[in-house]
Amino acid sequence: MRCSRCGAQIGNSYVRFNGVLLCDSCARELKIGEVFRRQNALFDQAFPMLDEFPGIFSAGSDLDFANAKIRCPRCGTTLRELESGGQLGCIECYNTFNESIMKNILKLQGSSEYMGRKPAEAAKIKADVKDAVSSDPVQGEELSAQPAASEKKTIKDKKEEAKTEDLLAKVKDADLTEFTDKEIEDAMKKAAEAEEYSLAVKLRDELKSRKGEN
Amino acid sequence: MWYENEGSNKDVILSTKIILSRNIKGFPFPPKMSDADRENVLGMVRQAAGSMDLNFVRTDELDDTAKADLYNQFYSGYAFLNSDAKTGYLMSKTDGLGVVINSTDHINIVSMVPGSDIVTAYKRADELAVKFEQSMDIAYTDKFGFLTSQIKSVGTGMQLMMTLALPGIEKTEGAVQVLAKRAEKYDWQMIPMTHQDGLRESGIYVLSNVATLGITEQEIIDRTRKVQEDIIKLENTCRKNICTKKKSIVEDQYYRAYATLSYCRRIETAEALTLINWLRLGQNFVDTSDADLDWNKINKLTQKVRRNYSDSAGKGMRPKDKSVARAKLIRDIMKGGQAT
Repeated sequence: MRCSRCGAQIGNSYVRFNGVLLCDSCARELKIGEVFRRQNALFDQAFPMLDEFPGIFSAGSDLDFANAKIRCPRCGTTLRELESGGQLGCIECYNTFNESIMKNILKLQGSSEYMGRKPAEAAKIKADVKDAVSSDPVQGEELSAQPAASEKKTIKDKKEEAKTEDLLAKVKDADLTEFTDKEIEDAMKKAAEAEEYSLAVKLRDELKSRKGEN
Repeated sequence: MWYENEGSNKDVILSTKIILSRNIKGFPFPPKMSDADRENVLGMVRQAAGSMDLNFVRTDELDDTAKADLYNQFYSGYAFLNSDAKTGYLMSKTDGLGVVINSTDHINIVSMVPGSDIVTAYKRADELAVKFEQSMDIAYTDKFGFLTSQIKSVGTGMQLMMTLALPGIEKTEGAVQVLAKRAEKYDWQMIPMTHQDGLRESGIYVLSNVATLGITEQEIIDRTRKVQEDIIKLENTCRKNICTKKKSIVEDQYYRAYATLSYCRRIETAEALTLINWLRLGQNFVDTSDADLDWNKINKLTQKVRRNYSDSAGKGMRPKDKSVARAKLIRDIMKGGQAT
C-alpha cells in the first residue's frame, strides 16, 4: 500500500479518508483524523484530563447549518452549496443570491463591473502592436523611392499633413480605448498644432485617466 | 495534430488554451439538469452548429479509441469522457478547436494552440461564440455579462490557461515565488501541475487568469502578452545562469537523461518527466553536439508522456505493460521515428 498523497510506503498507521489512503505524516499535515488520534492519545494516558472530554466529542460536529436554509426557488441550490464550491444551479440563482455573489466576486476579482463585449458582437482584438508599427507602408514607400532632395521634402510634408488629418479624423470619431498611449499622445500634439483645442483637451484627459489607472 | 505544429516560444510555453463559457436561457446549469433537459440542450446546440462545419459526437456513445482521441487531442477530461451524463462534443476541422456540451456550462468553446499565440486562439474561439450567440438565446445581463455556472468565470466567461515548462525557474531558489507574485500583479494565478493521484509533473506549471469582470477581452489578451514576455525572459535568464554556473553538472544530467530515454525498456511517467525536464534545461545552453535532439523532439516527448489515455484508464493494461509501452514510445521518438 502506498500513500496517495506523497507516494511513500504505508506502515502500520494510516488514515482512510473518503476512500483515500493517507500515510500518518500526510494526514497530520492535512489535519485529517485529528479527532481519532487525539482520542487514542487520551485513552492511552493513565489519568486522562477530564476537561478535555467535551472538546473531543464536540469537535466533529462543529458545523454551521445556518446557511443551508436559503434556497433558490427554481433549482433548489442552497447558499451553503454556493459558498462552499462557487457553483450556481441556474440563472435565477444570480437574483436569489445576488448579495453573496457580489461579495464573492469582489473578493475574487476586485471589481464587479462588466466591461466585456455584448453578445453577438465580435470583440475587436488588435494583433501585435509592434508588428503594425514596423510594417508601416508609408515608411516603406519613402525608403524605396529616392527622389531629389527638394521634391522629397515636399512629398514628405504633404504626406505628413495627410497623416495628421487622417489621425485627427480617426481619433475624433473612434472609441479612445482602441488607441495606445503613444498614439494618443501624438494625436494630442497634432491637435494642438492644428488648433483643435477641444479635441486636445479630451485626449489629455484620457491620458491622465490612463496614468491614474496604472 | 495541433500540438505537433510549430508554435512561437515552444521551448517555454507548451500550449495556450482558451475556454469561452456560454449558457442557454431557460435551462438550469448542467450540474442541476435533468436528462430531458440535457437531451434538449444537445439537440439545440447541434442544430445551431449545423452551419458551422462541426462534427457532432455524443460522449456516452463513444468507444475507447474515440475517447482516447478526444483525450489526447482535445484535452477532454477523463471524468467527462467516462461519465454517464448525457454530454456531447463538437469537433472542428481546425486543429485544437472544439465545443464541449453539457460539461460545466451548456457550451464551452475550447481553443488550443501550441506555443504562445494567444490572439489566434482567441479569435477562433470568439468567432464560434458569436455564431452561437446569434442563433441562440444566451444568458446575459448588462450587470454581470455572460452568466456562467461557476462564479469565478462570470463576466467575459473567458478562461485562459497556459502550460509552462519552467525547469530553470524551478531549479533557481526563490524564483517560483518571484514569478507567482509577478503573475498576481496582472491578476493571474500560477500553480504547479498536479494530477489527481498526487503525481507532480516536474517543471511544469499552469498559469490561468483570475479576472473576468471589470476587464475587456483586449485587456486580458494584452496582459497575457506581458505575462508571457516576463516569463520567457525570466526562464531564459535562469536557464542560462544555471547552465553557466553548474556547467558540468547540467551537462552530465543532460546526457544521462538522453541516454536513459534513448535506451530504457521500462519507465514510469514521473521518471520520464523528470528526465525530460533536464533535457529542456540544457538544450539551448550546453554543448549538445553528441546528442541528436531538437526542440521538436523534446516537445513531442513531453506531449506524448504527459497526455496518454491508457495511463489514465484504470482497467485495460497492467501497470507493467504500460511502462513497457511507454518506454517503447519514448525510444521511437528519440530515434526520430513517427510514434503513433
